[in-house]
Amino acid sequence: MSSKFGKKERLFGYSIVLPYLAYTAIFWGYPFVWMVVLAFTKWNYFSKPKFIGLQNFLRILTDSTVLRIALNTLNFLAYLIPMVLTASLLFALALTKVRFGKTFIMLSFLVANVSSGVAYSLLFSNLFSINGPINRLLDDLFGITIPWFSNPQLAVFSICLIITWKFIGYYGLILYASLLSIPQSLYEAAELDGATKSQIFWKITLPLLNPSLITVTVLAVMLTFGIFTEPYLITGGGPMQRTITFLIYMYDTAFKRVDPSYATTVAIVTALVSYLLVMLIRKFFEKEVSFV
Amino acid sequence: MKRIFVLFLIAVLSLVSFAVKLTFWTAPNAFQEEFWKTVVAQWNKMRPDIQIEVQTIPAAGSSEEAILSAIAAGNAPDFSENIFSGFAAQLAEIGAIYPLDNFGTDFQRLVEARKMKNIMETWKIKGKYYVFPIYSNPMIFWWRGDILKSLGYNEPPRTYGEIYELSKKFADGKKKFTMQVISGRNWWDRWFDFITYYYAATGGKPYIDVEKRKVNFGDETGKAVVQFIYTMFQNKWTAVELGTNPFYNGTILAKITGPWEVNWAKETFPKVVPNIWFSAPPVPDNYPKDKPIYTFADTKGLVIYSTCKDKRAAFEFISWVFSNVQNDVLWIEKTQMPPAREDLTTNPAFAKFMNDKFFKAYASFVPYAVPPALTDKTIDIQQSMTTNLIEPLMYLKGKPEDILNKAVKEINKLLF
Repeated sequence: MSSKFGKKERLFGYSIVLPYLAYTAIFWGYPFVWMVVLAFTKWNYFSKPKFIGLQNFLRILTDSTVLRIALNTLNFLAYLIPMVLTASLLFALALTKVRFGKTFIMLSFLVANVSSGVAYSLLFSNLFSINGPINRLLDDLFGITIPWFSNPQLAVFSICLIITWKFIGYYGLILYASLLSIPQSLYEAAELDGATKSQIFWKITLPLLNPSLITVTVLAVMLTFGIFTEPYLITGGGPMQRTITFLIYMYDTAFKRVDPSYATTVAIVTALVSYLLVMLIRKFFEKEVSFV
Repeated sequence: MKRIFVLFLIAVLSLVSFAVKLTFWTAPNAFQEEFWKTVVAQWNKMRPDIQIEVQTIPAAGSSEEAILSAIAAGNAPDFSENIFSGFAAQLAEIGAIYPLDNFGTDFQRLVEARKMKNIMETWKIKGKYYVFPIYSNPMIFWWRGDILKSLGYNEPPRTYGEIYELSKKFADGKKKFTMQVISGRNWWDRWFDFITYYYAATGGKPYIDVEKRKVNFGDETGKAVVQFIYTMFQNKWTAVELGTNPFYNGTILAKITGPWEVNWAKETFPKVVPNIWFSAPPVPDNYPKDKPIYTFADTKGLVIYSTCKDKRAAFEFISWVFSNVQNDVLWIEKTQMPPAREDLTTNPAFAKFMNDKFFKAYASFVPYAVPPALTDKTIDIQQSMTTNLIEPLMYLKGKPEDILNKAVKEINKLLF
């Protein structure tokens, strides 16, 4: 079978895809293979990796910190998903009502998304510190001081609050685009049938937003498994280990305990768990949407 | 003449182009950086054949993390400072640092010249010397003398009981607290709270038995220490969060700190600094009055990495810096930290510093300052201390004795 392209065309084609293939091989393929190799070995950066079979995977099963982190992740999910979904949806709905300066508002919220994690973490850490401006205001107005980051349960909430702030613009934009795609005729028909605003929202808007809401939920789930900067810089994984996440544990294991092999094993298991969770969400909540 | 000049220029250029270039990482501390920049500039001028480039340890959670990340990425410097003994043991374990004994008599001569023969013994790792100790900072308590005076005190409280009495007079549990009892939740903060209190209460007994690989602090004195921490939190005489600069704004009366804070405090809070009083860490009520109180020594040193391009050249630089007592004088001027020398109080070169109340206070504690346990599990041990000991005490999660027993059990598991 002869190719419909000549040798020159084929070479040209290869030359175009080569940089991307090289990039993929160097920055994705090689680290991936190395990660899998490491998971089955013991290595300390200097010695030669020693094959230890499934020991690293078995160690995860008996590691109490991994169990603590799994519970923390569920805790983060329980706070973050409703917070980020509600806030983004409200932002998207509000945007549809705005007549002037829409681009400016969208950009203002997106700035949070592209800001440096280190910068805003330090900023929030100071804002919410025990004698920071937020607490001073609360003290002046209501005579209360809230231990935002030193109370074990409140610390999770506070970190979710910061992450929600960061992602309102990005997720809100996805939902906003989806809101715009809902045909006006559906709303008009509903209004003619005498549906209330609440009925329109629950029976039309929300069901038709399902694909976008699932997208945002999936993104938020993946985000939860990747939380690092905020708790690392603000709470250091505490108090009482309540904000320690898989990424913090991987980092600590690799760079404080000099155990990169176990760290990569945790990374592999975390990736598999998050993948399974995403698949489950899609299976149970994703629905086909038709506007006709 | 022209020909000689050209030849000279060629010689200089070839010397510079063939020079050994070594990278040296310093602690992320402006005053230490200043010291190293000054001495390295002198060295580079004098030795065009060995050029040293000074860089600050990159920003990270801690210097240890930055160094380990660099080792993992293959970007480790040739040599660096700011290495504590436990971290050195960890680096030696993985073969990342080079034993200084390998320089033979040159190394011995340097140790003698800097008067640090006994100090070196406390840094022996697996029978070898991997670290060149630079400084040894005793940790002492700073007290707000002005506030204490207004409460009728002429000197800081010494025992747990005296601190409780003071707390009843001063702390309100909302805006005023007696002292910072816990330094933070990073692993290294345990040096500056529990370990310091344990050293003080026991007369300097090691908290870990490194040989037997087991915890020592599960004893009666350990119980007294945890009871003290618990009591302070239970009565709200201290708090988890004390805000920014609580000592200087009068939220707390006392904090533990090292001499690295002196220059910053003098610059930032010039009105508070003259009113500072010093004391040893608090001790149990039954601690003998005539016995000296021990404290923790924050000791840091310098290491040469196994990947160093020219280890001999790095050692030549180190020898040049530390065999000259004037460089230690400069070190004190810049950093206020006592160099790891045994002749600190007898060498006339340091006499002028004894007029400084801060330096005098720290120097007086040098003989009673005990370094951390020399274990490669330091970070794990102290992270476990944070999770299983300090945080449960801070949040009053259980009886102090039960908390202590659980922590001892968990840490023994790590050591076994």
